[in-house]
Amino acid sequence: MSATRHLQILALLLLLGGGAALQLRNMLVPATFGEIGTYRAAALGTNAAHPLTFPSDARCLKCHEDVQEERVESLHTVVRCVHCHGFGAEHITQATAVEVDSSVTIASAQDWDHHFPTKVDLFITYDRATCLACHQATVGMPDSFLQINVAEHLEDQGAEDVEDVNVCFECHTGHSPGL
Amino acid sequence: MVEPSDELKISKDRSECDGCDTQCACNATHDLSPPDTNLTTGPEISNDADRRNFLKQATTITLGALSLTVLPWSRDNDDGKNVGGGSATPIVYGFLVDTEKCIGAGKCLTACRVENDVPEGYSRTWVERYIHYKDGRVEVDRVPESGYHAAGLVDIDSELIDRSYFVPKLCNHCEDAPCNQVCPVHASFTSPEGVELIDTDSCIGCAYCVQACPYGVRFVNPNTNSADKCTWCYHRITQNEKPACVEACPVDARVFGRLDDPESELNRRLAKVPHHVLREHLGTHPKLHYIGLSGEVN
Repeated sequence: MSATRHLQILALLLLLGGGAALQLRNMLVPATFGEIGTYRAAALGTNAAHPLTFPSDARCLKCHEDVQEERVESLHTVVRCVHCHGFGAEHITQATAVEVDSSVTIASAQDWDHHFPTKVDLFITYDRATCLACHQATVGMPDSFLQINVAEHLEDQGAEDVEDVNVCFECHTGHSPGL
Repeated sequence: MVEPSDELKISKDRSECDGCDTQCACNATHDLSPPDTNLTTGPEISNDADRRNFLKQATTITLGALSLTVLPWSRDNDDGKNVGGGSATPIVYGFLVDTEKCIGAGKCLTACRVENDVPEGYSRTWVERYIHYKDGRVEVDRVPESGYHAAGLVDIDSELIDRSYFVPKLCNHCEDAPCNQVCPVHASFTSPEGVELIDTDSCIGCAYCVQACPYGVRFVNPNTNSADKCTWCYHRITQNEKPACVEACPVDARVFGRLDDPESELNRRLAKVPHHVLREHLGTHPKLHYIGLSGEVN
C-alpha cells in the first residue's frame, strides 16, 4: 500500500472516530448543560418553578383591610398573619377564585383542632398556646424581648381562672395586644 | 567521535558547519543516512524522506483532528462564573442572622417546611440553643418546631445558667462550596446569583455532598431520592419575595438581601456591627453572616 493510502485510511478513521465521539457526547451530556456554567441551565428554571406557599401579609390584607387598621401602631405589626391563623393555602385558593368569579363561595375557616398548622389549614380560634409560643419566658431569649412567666403574670393580674385557655384575651387582643 | 565536552562548541558553531564526516550534532541540511538505504528506491524519493513525509502529514492530520474535537466545547465551560443569567452585572445575594434577636419561637421552621415540602424528620433550617452553665458546661439543644412551650419541655432553672442564646442555622451558600466540588454529576451548583442549588433531575442521590458539607445542612430527601437543602427559597427570591423563613421571623432575626448593593438593608446592618461567618478557617467563604456569634458556635 502506498503512503497516500495509509494517510487516507488514517484520515477516515479519525473522521469516523470524531463523529462517533460527537454523537456519544450529544447522547450523554444533558440538554442545556454548560450554557451558563458547568451545570444544566434548565435546573435554574426547575428550582424557580416551585409554587409559593407562604402568603405575605399583603395577600391577606387585600381582603381583610380592617385588620390592618387595628394593627397599625401595634406591637404586633411584625407578627405575620400566618403565625396565628395558619397558612390557609386552601382559603387563599378559594379567595382568589372569588376574585375571578364572585359567585363562588368561600368555605368557612376550619376550627383549629390544636394540631400544628398545616399547609391548607386556616383557623380562627386560637388560645393562649398561640401567644406563649413566642412570649413564654424561655432560657435563651434575649432580655430585650417581652417574656411572660404565665403563672406569675396571671397572679399579678388577678385572673379568675388561670387554667382557661382563652385567659389572655380577657385583657389583650391578638391584632393590637396593648400592655 | 565527538567528545561530550565538544558538543556545546559544535552546536554553537552550527552556522559554520559544512558537512563534516564525523557524526555531527547540528541539524544542517546534509544527509546523514547510511548510503545503502538509497539503493532500492533511487536517489530522488528515498525511503527515508518518504517516512519523514508520512510522519509529518500523519502528525498534522492527527493534531488537526484532535484540536477540532477538543476546542469547540472546552470553551463553553470556562465562562461559567462570569455569567449572571445573561446580564452584565450579576446579582449577589447574602443572608444575615442576628443571634441577639432570635427568640426561638420556631416560626421559621414551620414556614420552611410548608414552603418547601420538607418531610417530617428532616429540616433545611433549624435553630440551636446554646446554654452556658455556671459550672462551665456548654449544652446545645434544638428548638422544637412548635416552640418550647407547646412542646411541653421543662424549662431550665435560670439560676444555673450564665448565658444562653439561639443560633439559627441554614445553608451557608459558600463561594467555594465543597458540595459542588464532590458532586460527580454536576447536580450541585452555584446559580449566577450566588445561590447554591441542586439539580434534582440530575442528582443520583449518592450523598457525597451530604458528607462534604462542613455545616451539615444537606440531606437526602426520601420522597425525591435527591439531595435537598436550603435554596434561600430560590422560587421566591426570583419573584422579588423574601425567603419564607425571613418572611416568617417576627423579630427580624433573619435578613436576606443583596451583598452587591451598599444600600440594601443587609449591608446597612452588616456595616454597623461586628459579624462573623461559621468555620471561617475552612476557606469556604460563606455568604451567610452572623451578628453576635459566640466562639463556641461552629
